[in-house]
Amino acid sequence: MANHTPSTQSQFFQHHFVDAEQQLDASKMGMWIFLATEILMFGGLFAAYIIYRFWYPELFVMASKELNTLWGTVNTVVLLGSSLTVAMAIKSAQLNQKKNIAINLGITLALAAIFMVIKYFEWTHKFHLGIFPGKFYVFEGIDHPKASVFFSLYYLMTGLHGIHVTIGIGLMIWLLVKANKGHFGSEYYNPLEITGLYWHLVDIIWIFLFPLFYLID
Amino acid sequence: MATAESTLKKIQVQRYEPEEDPQKYYLNEETGIWAWLTTVDHKKIGIMYLASITLFFFVGGIMALLLRTELWTPAKTFIEANTYNELFTLHGTIMVFLFLVPAVPAALGNFILPLQLGAKDVAFPKLNLFSYYIYLTGSIVVIISILTGGIDTGWTFYTPYSVTTGGAVTMAVFGVFIIGFSSILTGVNFITTIHKLRAPGISWDKLSLFGWSLYAVSIIQILATPVLAITLALVGMERLLGIGIFDPAMGGDPVLFQHFFWFYSHPAVYIMIVPGFGVVSEVVSTFSKKHIFGYWAIALSSVAISFIGFLVWGHHMFVSGQAAMASMVFSFLSFLIGIPTGIKMFNWTATMYKGSIDLKSPLLYIFGFFFLFLVGGITGIVLATIALDVHLHDTYYVVAHFHFVMVGGMVMAFLAGLHYWWPKITGRMFNETLAKIACGIIFLGFNVTFLPQFVMGSLGMPRRYFNYIEEFQTFHQVSTIGSYILGIGFVLVFYYLVKSLFSGKKASANPWGSRALEWQVSSPPPLHNFHHTPVVINGPYEYHKPMDEFQLGLVENGHDHSKTSGGTDDNDGEEHEKAE
Amino acid sequence: MTGHHIATDKLLLGVFGALLVLTGLTYGVHYLHLPDPWSIIVAMIIAIIKGSLVALFFMHLYWDKKFNAMVFITAFIFLALLVSLSLLDTVFQPEIHPGF
Repeated sequence: MANHTPSTQSQFFQHHFVDAEQQLDASKMGMWIFLATEILMFGGLFAAYIIYRFWYPELFVMASKELNTLWGTVNTVVLLGSSLTVAMAIKSAQLNQKKNIAINLGITLALAAIFMVIKYFEWTHKFHLGIFPGKFYVFEGIDHPKASVFFSLYYLMTGLHGIHVTIGIGLMIWLLVKANKGHFGSEYYNPLEITGLYWHLVDIIWIFLFPLFYLID
Repeated sequence: MATAESTLKKIQVQRYEPEEDPQKYYLNEETGIWAWLTTVDHKKIGIMYLASITLFFFVGGIMALLLRTELWTPAKTFIEANTYNELFTLHGTIMVFLFLVPAVPAALGNFILPLQLGAKDVAFPKLNLFSYYIYLTGSIVVIISILTGGIDTGWTFYTPYSVTTGGAVTMAVFGVFIIGFSSILTGVNFITTIHKLRAPGISWDKLSLFGWSLYAVSIIQILATPVLAITLALVGMERLLGIGIFDPAMGGDPVLFQHFFWFYSHPAVYIMIVPGFGVVSEVVSTFSKKHIFGYWAIALSSVAISFIGFLVWGHHMFVSGQAAMASMVFSFLSFLIGIPTGIKMFNWTATMYKGSIDLKSPLLYIFGFFFLFLVGGITGIVLATIALDVHLHDTYYVVAHFHFVMVGGMVMAFLAGLHYWWPKITGRMFNETLAKIACGIIFLGFNVTFLPQFVMGSLGMPRRYFNYIEEFQTFHQVSTIGSYILGIGFVLVFYYLVKSLFSGKKASANPWGSRALEWQVSSPPPLHNFHHTPVVINGPYEYHKPMDEFQLGLVENGHDHSKTSGGTDDNDGEEHEKAE
Repeated sequence: MTGHHIATDKLLLGVFGALLVLTGLTYGVHYLHLPDPWSIIVAMIIAIIKGSLVALFFMHLYWDKKFNAMVFITAFIFLALLVSLSLLDTVFQPEIHPGF
């Protein structure tokens, strides 16, 4: 329960909270609960992955060779870096260093864009080879009757992850606009904090996708 | 609560009696269509949900009546077989996703929960409005899919049929996918609200049991709904791209769809029924004028149901080719769910024992609930038994069981809650005599409709069939007549509730004499619920304590400790020590 | 605002460094071609450590209210339920995959 003491109220304080602290705690809790739903949503795909890897272990070893481990690693580093800069942006807000918020958000945005560009080239390369999802699959380089299942999972999981990165980019642009207007500071940085949580979760999901698809042997 | 500075603080409280016949309340402080559409007030959003689900309930209900009419004769009566298939699909989809899931949590819960917590609103009011619009968008998409092609898969969308059949299945699953997010965001909102916005003094053991049930339900909503979302997305992708996750020819497994689907949809029946349990606890205690028996047993059994509810989904799949090993485990776990449910039934009965029972219409609906839900629950145990289920699977026995639980249980509890809170929501009293008559008609109609279905089902009448053999005709005709009676009952409820809006007599702030916090504000409540910060020292069911201990609030500006005294007009001010 | 931990540059960069090292490690181990079960086990252990580092320090769980950590862990417990009870069927099906 919150302390029922009034506090200094910024322009973003909502009247149904007792104080800004309760507001921040509530928005963080709400975001964590939402992240739980994200985990379960990706969880359905992870469950399918585990079941099919259990059924066709040899297929996963064969098909994984078609993925470029180096670019996967580069993307991992890129995404980890963007997580760092988001954390730095929040720290800057807490210390009221308004300029650094925008700089860190800008770097995050750039890294997220790099991630998507690399992803784009990875996908188009596979399309070029004829590795299309599902019934459009025409690649003949993998000698396994169920080969398309692996790539269906690959496209679904990296695709859903990519959608989340894209949403994250949208959120970062929104934050950057607000940061440039000077909305964030040590008194109020809730959107920064909860978008950060979202972004880190997207990073954590990639941390698991990376070994599950790129590092199979 | 347990922060580092957990010291005893003195706060000054005084009694605030609710204003009778208020001049300004939430319905007339902001008016106009635009104020309604953009409102972030949880009460108005609750009412918008209520209006929407009522509409969908009647749409779904008309479809049910059409289905029952078609089944009057063994062959075609008046609609084509394909239309029949589409109708039962729509009846299921509309009733489950558009009515049952949002009915108690989103409609009644939205209105009542913040009042019971002594909060001004839910934690994220804008998100709350957003959820409503997501729900509306999803519903419209589902309706469009009906109009543009129809769906004939049943509300369960089983693969491979849902992947291969024509019609607007892709759009329908997309609509349900969207509605799922509304449900998730409502769950996020409620859990945060219950954790963060409780008024001073509402510790976990003073939380209303309706609040506990909504908490339990929100857990299911946030953990199960995303799996439904991804499953339906996979069905959509299967139709668009043929990804093969559920297609054995490409290495997939259609039974996996059923696993994923029931991982949501079994817990989802608890999303529908558990808030109903919360309503029952409130109503039983209020009309017995007695402390609820076994507060913690009821509160924790809600949480137990929501947890065990995740472990039982395989009992829908005993004849799907599921491994015998899994079937045995799921059957055993399914029996466990009977325990917390039984605990609740016993505690409600014990609450009424030696209470001073006032048989008003909400309690009458609850009595209907007790009988019907008991039958529904016990036949559920029958269906959880593997050997019996193999015989009864996909027969009218399952249909009857499901309707006993969902209509007999959940809709009765919903109506009880609607009658119970109607004076608070609208400020008007409905016609009590008509309410009792309607309750009797619904109870009678319901039993006439669904009891014959148990018999038919155990004799082997399969569900979802357009034609049937002639020896079932009597059963079907009785059932059809019952459905008309049931329909009349619901129309009657609608009639006198709407009539009360215009000509009902004004409700007092606390017409039932309840001790719960939502009754300690005027009817209808003010725009921001409370003019003061409520302070709670007794739980909501402590009928042995005097009323003035339930209407306390912080003295105006009283939370500023530097002020010497907060003595205002009414000097009922008491000092209470409490730990913050 | 009180009660909210402010991470230092040193700590954030340190965590990032550890994440890079672990990424390098998992990449390197991949080329060792460990015998069958060990490859995935090592890769998953490294991924779990990396994920925990991000959750604990970048997402401030280490300093945050315990409830948020509980929510996070609960989500994984329910995911484990989904996976394990589904596997109970798919693993014990008489034929490993449907033969029609």
